[in-house]
Amino acid sequence: MATLTESRPSEVTISPSRLAWRSFLRNRTAVAGMLACIVFFVVAVMGVLLTKGEEPVLDSRQVRLADKLRPPLSLPNRQAVSAENLPRLGIYLLGTDDLGRDVFARMLEGAFVSLSVGFVAVGIAVAIGIALGGIAGYYGRVRIGIGALRLMTVDTLVAGLIDVMLSFPAFFLILTVVAVLKPSILNIMIVIGLTSWTGTARFVRAEILALREQDFVQAAHALGVSGPRIILRHLIPNAIAPVLVSATLGIAYAILTESGLSFLGFGVPPPEPTWGNILSDGKNFLFDASWLTIIPGTAILIVVLAFNLFGEGLREAFNPKLRQL
Amino acid sequence: MLSVLLRIGWKKLWTLFFVSVISFAVIHLAPGQPSQIDPLNPRFTPEQLERYRKAFDLDKPLYEQYWLFYRKLLFTRELRSFKDSQPVLPKIFERFWNSLPLFLVGTILIWCYAFPLGIASAIRRNSLFDKVTTVVVFALISVPGFYLAYLMINFVVQTFHVDVIGLRTFGREGVAPVLSLMDRTWHLVLPSVLGATAGIAVLSRYVRSQMLEVINSDFVRTARAKGLPEDAVLYKHALRNALLPFVTMLGLLVPGLIGGSVIIETIFAWPGIGRLGYEAILSRDYPIVISLNFIAAVLTLLGTLLSDLLYMVADPRIRLEAE
Repeated sequence: MATLTESRPSEVTISPSRLAWRSFLRNRTAVAGMLACIVFFVVAVMGVLLTKGEEPVLDSRQVRLADKLRPPLSLPNRQAVSAENLPRLGIYLLGTDDLGRDVFARMLEGAFVSLSVGFVAVGIAVAIGIALGGIAGYYGRVRIGIGALRLMTVDTLVAGLIDVMLSFPAFFLILTVVAVLKPSILNIMIVIGLTSWTGTARFVRAEILALREQDFVQAAHALGVSGPRIILRHLIPNAIAPVLVSATLGIAYAILTESGLSFLGFGVPPPEPTWGNILSDGKNFLFDASWLTIIPGTAILIVVLAFNLFGEGLREAFNPKLRQL
Repeated sequence: MLSVLLRIGWKKLWTLFFVSVISFAVIHLAPGQPSQIDPLNPRFTPEQLERYRKAFDLDKPLYEQYWLFYRKLLFTRELRSFKDSQPVLPKIFERFWNSLPLFLVGTILIWCYAFPLGIASAIRRNSLFDKVTTVVVFALISVPGFYLAYLMINFVVQTFHVDVIGLRTFGREGVAPVLSLMDRTWHLVLPSVLGATAGIAVLSRYVRSQMLEVINSDFVRTARAKGLPEDAVLYKHALRNALLPFVTMLGLLVPGLIGGSVIIETIFAWPGIGRLGYEAILSRDYPIVISLNFIAAVLTLLGTLLSDLLYMVADPRIRLEAE
């Protein structure tokens, strides 16, 4: 009895996730990254609210040829631009582009488009990664084949798929597929998602291999819980940490890839603004209107940096070997 | 040992098969048939349609199209570029020689800078040095490559008033070989440095976390406990074990030869493989596009094969496990 009372969990016991969270909060660059990500979310959502609809507060598509290529913080030309076309703020906060469109409004609207490219692409990648990683981890030793011919194990099959994906030069493959399918925002999301699931799949598989021998999984199995349900309800929630890490880093990768595609002319097509295509349009005016390059370029840099630092902080916090105590 | 080699080779062959299928299938992704890629385009003449049909044997069943395509590419050399009717393989090979110096210099830069940087940050974890390098390294990972390139070109050209675009300075043909060599070397500097920045950043992070994991492990504590000097602990015991996984990364460098160079070669008007690929995509020169994807994948497979073998030589645990 004495040992029982002694081994009872006391106040000192902390759950692993709480421990990871504490370690994360101690990492100041990572916390700064997380805060910047939250700010970016807020900006992106505000961007939709302010620039969409019949009567947008800030019109990102209003062309004012008289006011083209005005530097940031310049006042509109009141003689040439009619009153209803004047910028709502009374000033071009971030200047105008070669068609006289307000860069501030375009950046706001583009924030949401860039964010949704990142989120949908990562959503697809994570879904495929969890599905394949989960199946490979749980059913790995099952042999599959045609008829009675047992060709290979599930694990070999998934590992093979990952090998095939990793063999291709990722960016060039994305470029090829987007070019064949015609660039559109949906195609770009899907193609980036379909080509970047390998990391998630590998992490999830490794995590589930370690988990599947544990007692709670055996218990669930003994209770007659079906395989898919064990994977979805018992294994995946316990393997969510590496998924979170690769999702965060994946958003950064997707935003960067979209800007690279935009540079080559295969990004999200106009008039939909993304930070990538604002930047790649702006580079044509590098010498005359450097703000058209520097504003979107720096914005991408900061947001991608924020997601990367956030993700890296999560990775260190969740990895007991790297955790700082 | 031999059976292990055979097994690895067998696996690679399967991968190669699927790689070839996917490379070929990409053009069938277009709605309808590849020959109907752009039916409303007035420049899409019946002549072009005929070329598509001939190149991909579109009247035959799919598996036969696939087989004929690779036979034409690799064996009979009948597969020709749509743009200039040159055989595909020699055309790619010619560009390959232009990309090679860029790739080699970039790789050397990556490996020479990433390792010292990563090891130094791991050893001095949480020092000012570590924090600054972390932020700088992540900034380099996060910056769009072409944005950095434009800023850099702008800076170099406006400060030093020198030419940076292309293989050599325009109009400087026929000068002394020494001068020509110097000119070419200078033109190599910016693209290879820019191509290497992201690589240095990513690899140094890997090195750092790998080194940290090893430093926190038991055998390093043992080495310290038995009173070894710190340098011996770090550079003999820790570093050697931390370096092991990087043997495998040698193989994964190869796809960078094509994929990573598209943007840099386009900016610097560098007539290499990446730009060939981009031009081919722009002009819908599918024989080139498919072949490039396929060749890049084959090179990667060879690279991973090499690194598997190196790993077995370097790490006795893997060797034993495999046997």
